[in-house]
Amino acid sequence: MSDEEHHFESKADSGASKTYPQQAGTIRKNGYIVIKGRACKVVEVSTSKTGKHGHAKCHFVGIDIFNAKKLEDIVPSSHNSDVPHVTRTDYQLIDISEDGFVTLLTESGGTKDDLRLPTDESLCSQIKDGFSEGKDLVVTVMSAMGEEQICALKDIGPK
Amino acid sequence: MQSYALESPDLSQVQSAMAVVEQACNSIQMHMNPAEAEATILAFRQSSRPYQTCRYILENSHLANARFQAAATIQDAAVREWGFLPDEEKQSLISFCLSFVMEHAHASEAYVQTKLSAVGALLMKRGWLESTAAEKDAFFIQVRQSVVGAHGRHAQFVGINFLESLVSEFSPSTATGMGLPVEFHEKCRASLETKHLKDFYCWAQDAVLSVANEIGYCDSTGPEVKVCAAAMRLMSQILNWEFKKTITADVGGVKNRRDASFSGFGHEAALFKKSELVLVQPGPAWRDVLLSHGRIGWVLELYRTIGQKSSSDRSWIDSPLAVSARQLIVQFCSLTGTIFPSDDGQMQEQHMLLLLAGIIQWIDPPDTILNAITYGKSESEMLDGCRGLLAMASLTTPSLFDRLLKSLRPFGTLSLLSLLTCEVMKAHAANKDEEETWASEAINILLDTWNVLLQPTDLSKSAHSAVGVHEAFALFSTILEFELKVAGESAYDDGDSSEQFQAFISARDERLSSYALIARAAADKSIPLLTRLFSEKVSLLCQGSGRADPIRTLEELYWLLLISGHVLADSGDGETALVPEALQAQFQDVTDPAQHPVVLLSGSIINFAEQSLHPDTRAAFFSSRLMEALIWFLARWADTYLLPIDTGRGHNCTPSQEGERLNEPHQARKALLCFFGEKNQGKSLLDTIVRIASTTLISWPGEKILQELTCFQLLPALVCRKNICIHLVTLESWRELANAFANERILFSLATPLQRSLAKVLSRSACGMSNSEASNQYVRDLMGPMTGFIADITKKDDIKSVAQQPDAIFMVSCLLERLRGAARATEPRTQKGMFEMGVAIMNPLLTLLEIYKNQSAVVYLLLKFVVDWVDGQVVFLEAKDTAVLFRFCVQLLEIYSSNNIGRISLSLSSSLLNEAKTEKYKDLRALLQLLTNLCSKDLVDFSPDLGNGAEKPDVAQVVYLGLHIITPLISLELLKYPKLCRQYFSLLSHMLEVYPEKVAKLTPEAFSHIIGTLDFALHNQDVEVVNMSLSSINALATFHYKERSSGKEGLGLHAVDYNDPSGTRQEGILGRLLELLLHLLLFEDYSTELVAAAADALLPLIVCDPGLYQRLGHELLERQENSVFKARLATALQSLTSSNQLTWSLDRINRQRFRKNLHYFLVDVRGFLRTM
Repeated sequence: MSDEEHHFESKADSGASKTYPQQAGTIRKNGYIVIKGRACKVVEVSTSKTGKHGHAKCHFVGIDIFNAKKLEDIVPSSHNSDVPHVTRTDYQLIDISEDGFVTLLTESGGTKDDLRLPTDESLCSQIKDGFSEGKDLVVTVMSAMGEEQICALKDIGPK
Repeated sequence: MQSYALESPDLSQVQSAMAVVEQACNSIQMHMNPAEAEATILAFRQSSRPYQTCRYILENSHLANARFQAAATIQDAAVREWGFLPDEEKQSLISFCLSFVMEHAHASEAYVQTKLSAVGALLMKRGWLESTAAEKDAFFIQVRQSVVGAHGRHAQFVGINFLESLVSEFSPSTATGMGLPVEFHEKCRASLETKHLKDFYCWAQDAVLSVANEIGYCDSTGPEVKVCAAAMRLMSQILNWEFKKTITADVGGVKNRRDASFSGFGHEAALFKKSELVLVQPGPAWRDVLLSHGRIGWVLELYRTIGQKSSSDRSWIDSPLAVSARQLIVQFCSLTGTIFPSDDGQMQEQHMLLLLAGIIQWIDPPDTILNAITYGKSESEMLDGCRGLLAMASLTTPSLFDRLLKSLRPFGTLSLLSLLTCEVMKAHAANKDEEETWASEAINILLDTWNVLLQPTDLSKSAHSAVGVHEAFALFSTILEFELKVAGESAYDDGDSSEQFQAFISARDERLSSYALIARAAADKSIPLLTRLFSEKVSLLCQGSGRADPIRTLEELYWLLLISGHVLADSGDGETALVPEALQAQFQDVTDPAQHPVVLLSGSIINFAEQSLHPDTRAAFFSSRLMEALIWFLARWADTYLLPIDTGRGHNCTPSQEGERLNEPHQARKALLCFFGEKNQGKSLLDTIVRIASTTLISWPGEKILQELTCFQLLPALVCRKNICIHLVTLESWRELANAFANERILFSLATPLQRSLAKVLSRSACGMSNSEASNQYVRDLMGPMTGFIADITKKDDIKSVAQQPDAIFMVSCLLERLRGAARATEPRTQKGMFEMGVAIMNPLLTLLEIYKNQSAVVYLLLKFVVDWVDGQVVFLEAKDTAVLFRFCVQLLEIYSSNNIGRISLSLSSSLLNEAKTEKYKDLRALLQLLTNLCSKDLVDFSPDLGNGAEKPDVAQVVYLGLHIITPLISLELLKYPKLCRQYFSLLSHMLEVYPEKVAKLTPEAFSHIIGTLDFALHNQDVEVVNMSLSSINALATFHYKERSSGKEGLGLHAVDYNDPSGTRQEGILGRLLELLLHLLLFEDYSTELVAAAADALLPLIVCDPGLYQRLGHELLERQENSVFKARLATALQSLTSSNQLTWSLDRINRQRFRKNLHYFLVDVRGFLRTM
């Protein structure tokens, strides 16, 4: 494996790295895929053929990772599908403001305060309750294709 | 009944109880508040001594449902309270059940009577071992009276019905559980079989004969017909009884064909998957009843009469009477065993001949019969005829089977079978659109029949015999004709959906292997026929190039490839596949190996496959589906024929090679085997196959099924034998494949599991290198680029952001899968190279685990690699390397734990949340697997003992540390996943049994977590899990007791009572477990098979803390209000710990005594303790 072939460019700032093409046949359950412009987690893949002696195609069922809607797509398995660039970053939760925004501590020591709490009541309360009990919480923020959302919560409270 | 006057409640109470039950039944039926109604009925069923009320309901209620519930309640209560019911009451209950059904034989709701007669049978069985033979005889004399018809037809029917319930109750497979040990059921079964079963059969037969003459047309629904059908049902039920195998010495000396069929029983039983044929094998005692003087003829006669009397009505074939008569006839066909005298099978032959004369009319002439069925006649008679043939075929040799018919017809049975199968095939092809037709059922039965006849049952005999060659070939040509037609017509159907793919494939393979057996029986004609058809279709395909639509031809070729593969080779399934004996034994006149039909067919298929290497022909002819069949064929073929191991020694020796085999056939065998050997075509064919395989991986992008076949079947078939690997590693084509894998990008387009398999296959071929050093170097060259790449990227400064990009994630996943594949191919020869491979990336892996903590898919792959790598390495490592490995594993566990503990996923989508849970569960399974693998170091250790005093790392310490780290992650929620649960508890019980001393050192939190999971496991549904938790408890308590007796600390603080932070007194864990276990045993539901394990756990708990046990016993007594039961319980508790000379020690004998005591104790007291 020669070096120049597998050199990962740092594309973080280029903005062009929201998605990456990958052969549909290699995308597996639990992977990610873009369906109808939305970033989805693949929950089901099945393959079939166009007629008995035709080419294989993949049938994907995905769930939008932000709004939980179910989406489906059929792609010839030798074609490329877009795979979203999904990142998850951990921040310590500093504050929850009354208008539903959170204040997060970044790794570099700055703060990030442009993120809203989830609109869904139960998710929202899971975060709020923990915070009001005075626990030290780390939230994981998932971001993909220009959207962001809190996707996990961890109590790192006193050991 | 008067004797209970004191106990029996007064009339008004009984009436109100009935009203309550009736109301509950009503509301269940109306579906009004069913939960409450069910609770009412449940309470009624569990009430104490409800018999009086039940009788009253049965006699007076107008509601059938309420009567049914009353019957069920009698059953529940009597089984529960049997131990302390007075004898008279037991008797009166049984006779009540019977007299009630007799008196109400006319009643319309038959299910109530059936239930009550089943209850009677159950109670009869419950008291079976207590009552004397005279009592039973007296009872059965009465039953017999009614069965033979002394009390009229209705009573006769009821009597037969009762016997039916009785037989099914006494047969272990249909018996009702009564909370008694298995021995009880076994004793009852044996007693009924030896003393009564034959009588029952005779009574039923008498019953049939007594009414047979009175039966008019069978559409009449008179009581005679009902009695007759029921009696025949009872007879066939009795014949289905699992008769105890009688081992008779007197058959031993006689070598006849029946001996052969005896030895083949296990084998035959396995063949009846589809048709569910049961052999009837009562012992010699049944000879007079079943065989002497036309004992069978009557049923044939009866069936004929029914047919004649109702010839005007075509539906008679499916009337209950006809159905049960035919069932009985088929059962007689499968009669075998020691019931026949050792007369060289003459009597059995006579018996079969008689039956065949009867059933032949159902199936011969085949075309007329099938024609009639197509025009609406019922098919069940014909199907039963096929079943009869199957039964006979399974008990005879082919030649005897063929001979049977010759005294009745001008042709043999095989001819008839062949003709019948052909006709059914035609009928099936004609209406194949319908799912599950009678034709497909008939085909299944008939193919089973062929299977039984042709399957070589005994390797020591030559499988090939001249019998049936002609018939088999006629059938095979018909099969080819119709299957090709069906294949051609289905060519335009939609592609296979992947959902039922596996089920479909295995059903198809099963059928194809039946066809293959038939083809092999006439190999000298059928193989040339296959070759000719294959060449025809290929040239058709080439001629039509560019003009005609080839799809139909492609599908026909596809099918031909499948059948050819099945005919030429057996599926190895991991075993060494041999050339089928039938193919070795035939073709004895072939002198030129190149003209051997097997060689010709193989050659023409491989030549065709080779054409796929040219881009033009590939594009024109080779659809992915056709290629799938070719790859599948090559895999199966190569497994059997390519470079066989034994070519030097002549033919593959079967266990008993007979000396009289002459040179000439030997030559033909040898020629066939050598032709694809190393001195002949072998090596060049291997090269061709490797090139074809490599092409499929690259030139059919995205064709997953094809690539899976290549990676999971063909390539593994090539590397499974060392002698092939030796040639493989010298081939240019193999080196190219390895090079493309290690250094090029192209193979990254494969799905990741395929890359894993490819890595495994390539690594495995290293065993073909001449020595260990070369093998290790081969692995280094192959995997070095991967490890180097992983090490490099983790050193980059911007790794954190770069690593999250999808292409990086994809690449890392591929590499981890490849590493895992290689690790799974670890062998002693390559162990060193593999160890270096893992060591090189230890630190990078820890870095990746941290970086990808939020990418669960990558984490899982990483864990799986470590699991497999450790699994391959751990038994070989020296102390120094083991320490390195252990340190790495602990670090890995720590990082994983710190990243995941206390983490909660948030998502709007429940299915995404479930996915997250599943991912966690899979991770934990991998980690538990890792710990289990580490454990194995203690059991198996191949590492050289250097004897330099280097301290061996302590496995137990590491595993406990690991358990300590991961148990907090295992929530009770996750333990609901059965696999994880089993894995966790098997590891835990292993650790507790082998290293209990380490447990004592755990922190209180970790310890109480473990105890918490044990509590959970005790109430698990899975018997295995409960068993493991019981043995864990046993181990803990035994350890504590032994340590304490030798003056040590044992579990120390864990076992001592303490005050929790809020100030309440908490018991030590052993006390808690004792309480839990007692509660479980006395008040909860569990399987009786657990009692032994529970006894083993309970005894050490008691001896650890006798004081607590006494106290719990007292509490139990205090709670009991009924003075009779109180006294009973006190005695039972007393004898639990004192009878059988039980002492306070934990040796084996004592444990066995305690098991017995506990069994008696539970049978004694559970009945009333659980009563509400």
